[in-house]
Parts: sequence; C-alpha cells; structure tokens
Amino acid sequence: MPIQLTSQAYCKMLLHTAKYPHCAVNGLLVAEKTKEKKKDGHSGPVLCVDCVPLFHGTLALAPMLEVALTLIDTWCKENNYIIVGYYQANEQTKDSRPNQVAQKVAARISENFSEAAIVMVDSSRLTMSCFEPIVFIHDHHENKWKIREVTTDAFEDWSEAQKITSALLVGRSYENLIDFDNHLDDLRNDWTNPTINKSVLDLC
Amino acid sequence: MASLSEMYDVGWEEMRDKLRKWREDNCRNSEQIVDVGEELISEHASKLGDDVWIIYEQVMIAALDCSRDDLALTCLQELRKQFPDSHRVKRLTGMRLEALERYDEANKHYDAILQEDPTNTAARKRKISILRAQGKSTEAIRELNEYLEQFVGDQEAWHELSELYINEHDYGKAAFCLEELMMTNPHNHLYCEQYAEVKYTQGGMENLELARKYFAQALRLNNRNMRALFGLYMSASHIAASPKVSAKVKKDNIKYAAWAAAQINRAYKTELLTATRELSGGKLFNRTYY
Repeated sequence: MPIQLTSQAYCKMLLHTAKYPHCAVNGLLVAEKTKEKKKDGHSGPVLCVDCVPLFHGTLALAPMLEVALTLIDTWCKENNYIIVGYYQANEQTKDSRPNQVAQKVAARISENFSEAAIVMVDSSRLTMSCFEPIVFIHDHHENKWKIREVTTDAFEDWSEAQKITSALLVGRSYENLIDFDNHLDDLRNDWTNPTINKSVLDLC
Repeated sequence: MASLSEMYDVGWEEMRDKLRKWREDNCRNSEQIVDVGEELISEHASKLGDDVWIIYEQVMIAALDCSRDDLALTCLQELRKQFPDSHRVKRLTGMRLEALERYDEANKHYDAILQEDPTNTAARKRKISILRAQGKSTEAIRELNEYLEQFVGDQEAWHELSELYINEHDYGKAAFCLEELMMTNPHNHLYCEQYAEVKYTQGGMENLELARKYFAQALRLNNRNMRALFGLYMSASHIAASPKVSAKVKKDNIKYAAWAAAQINRAYKTELLTATRELSGGKLFNRTYY
C-alpha cells in the first residue's frame, strides 16, 4: 500500500532541502512497525511518521551511508520503527528524477520492506507559503520505479503540514536542522532533531 | 526592525571579524553573510578602511545566493566605481548574470575577459561552473580536464573534478584526482579520508584494503576525524568477514575493527550528554559486526 506523510516527516524533508539550496540532499523515511496483518494481506496506507536527514553534497559514496543505515536501523528497533522510504532532492533544481543513488538505496530498503517508496523533492517549487505539495512519490512496480500522482491524500493532514512547514521555513528553523553529515562533524549534533520535533508539536 | 547589533549586542568590529572568519573558512552561509554584511556596509562602511572592498565582494556573492539582486547591484556598483578596469570585478558582473540564469551573456562576458587575458583562471573556472549549473556534466568534466592540463597545481579545480566524477559514479577517475591532492597536501586528513571513501565504494578486496589503510592514515593525521574512524571499522569488518582472506588477514582485521569500535564507543561517551544517544552508539559497536 502507498505511503502517507505526517507533518513532521514532510516539514523536516523540506527544511533539509532549504538548508542546503546549492546541494543535493537525501534522507530516510520511517514508519511505526505494526504487527497486525489483515487476512487478505492488505493493510491501510503506511504512515511515515518521521524522517532522518542523511547527507548533503556528495551522495554517491558508500561507507558513511552504510554507517548511517546501521545506526538508524538500531534506533528504529529501539523505537519500534521501520525504514519504509527514501527521499532525495537533486542538486539540479529542474531535475527531480530518482537517479542511481536513489534507486540503490531504495533497493536496499526494499530488502526489509517490500513496498519501499522513493520521495523526490521538487526544489524548483519550494516556497515559503508551501501552497502546494512539492514531492513526487515513486513506487516500485514490475522492476521499474513508477511515479504516482500526489494529492492531499498522500498526507495525514495536508493543511496542518502546510501550516507547520511554512511557519518553520519563515522562522528559518532549517538553520538548526541536523543531518547525519552534521552528526559526523560533531557527535553532539543529534540527527533525531528533538528541537525541531518539539517545534512541530507546538505548532500542531 | 531591530538591527542585528541591537538584537545580539555585537559591535561592528565583531561583525567584521565574523565576516573575515567566514571568508577564511570559505563558508557558504549566505543568509547570515547577507544579514551581517548588509548592516555592516550600510552603517559602518567608513570604519572598515580597505577591508570594505573585500567585504563588498563577499556580500555581493552571498546576495546572489539569496536572490537579493538589489544588494548585489549596490555592492557591484561600489566596486566598479573603485576598480573600473578590474578583471576581478568583471568576474563578479559575470556571476550576477549567472545568478540571473543569463548564461549566454555571462559566457560572452567571460570570453571578453579571456580575450584580454588568456591566463585568467577565474573566468575559465566560471565558464566551467556554468556548464555544471546547466547540468552538462560531460562537458564540464572535459573542460576541467583541459584546464588542469594547463593549471596542474589548482587544488580547487582537482577537488571540483573529483566531485564531478563521483556524481557520475566514475570512482576510478575520482580516486586519481584525490591522489593528486594527497600528493600535494600530504597532511590533509580530509583528502585521505575522501580517497578512502572512494576506494571503499569502488569495492573489491584490494580497494577495501587500500580504503582501510587510508582511513587509518587520515586518523593518524587527525584522531578526531569520525568519518575516518567509522570507515576504518567498516572496511576492517568487511575484510574480516570475507571468506577469501587468509587466517592471518582475518585475525588482523578483527583486531583493527575491535580497536575502532572501542574508539567509537569512547568518542560517543565523551561527547554525548544524553544517555539515549550514548546507548545507540554504544550498543551497535559492542556487538560484533559479522
């Protein structure tokens, strides 16, 4: 079943993109692990409750990506999360197609979650007002990544996501967003972004 | 609206020093540079002495990043008045055209500079940046290679080329660029570490062992480089886990990985204030990887 985004997941993706306008950025999307499986094998949409911003700049190198995946995997197990998707914003604002890096990481995620999705952020449409969703969601069908039309259904609550993201962009909260690269530069930088999570909660 | 100096209680000297530090570190924190620089030049230009010109340049470039064409033009006009025939200022005019995506005009502009001065490296590099901005990676790589045949000592160019190759997944050529940089900068731990990352990504036992060696070298040069430490752990673990290695190589790499894991745990314990983060970092590296 297709993924759905919470306000927290959406706004942190956009904050990451806004923090490094001149770079490509990427990150992982996580959902809560549910044990229930309906008899016919179908469950509701997978709700991405959070995202973990990974890198900015050069995305195509393996070692730190592997470290990040391992550490975040451990964090997921402790919090009953599962990695369900991957997001990326390309360096070229006019290009929002998933490239080799995106497909490789998504393939890796698919090993643990068969319906892993790629979310591409269209940074050419990034505005302060966030009047429309600027993500493209890609699902894996028959060995190909197919783009899915994004409506407000792709969000748990679009108007809330819009309001919160806009407020945080205007307030320049992206200056305090921490990605895994920042963490590697200084271990005290917390890639779970508790401060931003709190701001999101306060605005809900 | 309150000025920056009022809000943060900083004097103009501190603002000037901040700008200098950002110049020296080559930071691209353009919004902050615009905030600080705009106030500095509008309120304190007379106090800055000759520094004012380099600050105009710095603020102008930051203004371009922030779509502040008004501010960029102000700075540019001051610089043009002061240095009417300067190629350095002409380059800034070109950069403004680039920011406005008027690439053809920008290219003509740089070509004019090169007509007058064929050795002007800045203009040549801007032309290559335009290719990158337009997504023309293959052409950018070709032009940059030609440039480096002439200007073989330009480190910024070698690094840019390594980035372009990495983005094209041409890790072998990226490694070559980083080798050039390591040769001329043997004490730079960042180049060592990046080289190791490229080798690791290339894969294969030989490259993994090289990666491990260069991660270790980076650590010797800077024992606080966390990427090097993690990289050492990952490469040693992969080598030890491979069925193709001899018992001795396996044993040695288990030792290296264990050492790296202990250092990582220590780093997390010393740097971190919250127990939960400590736990995540510690837990992972207490269990054996393979």
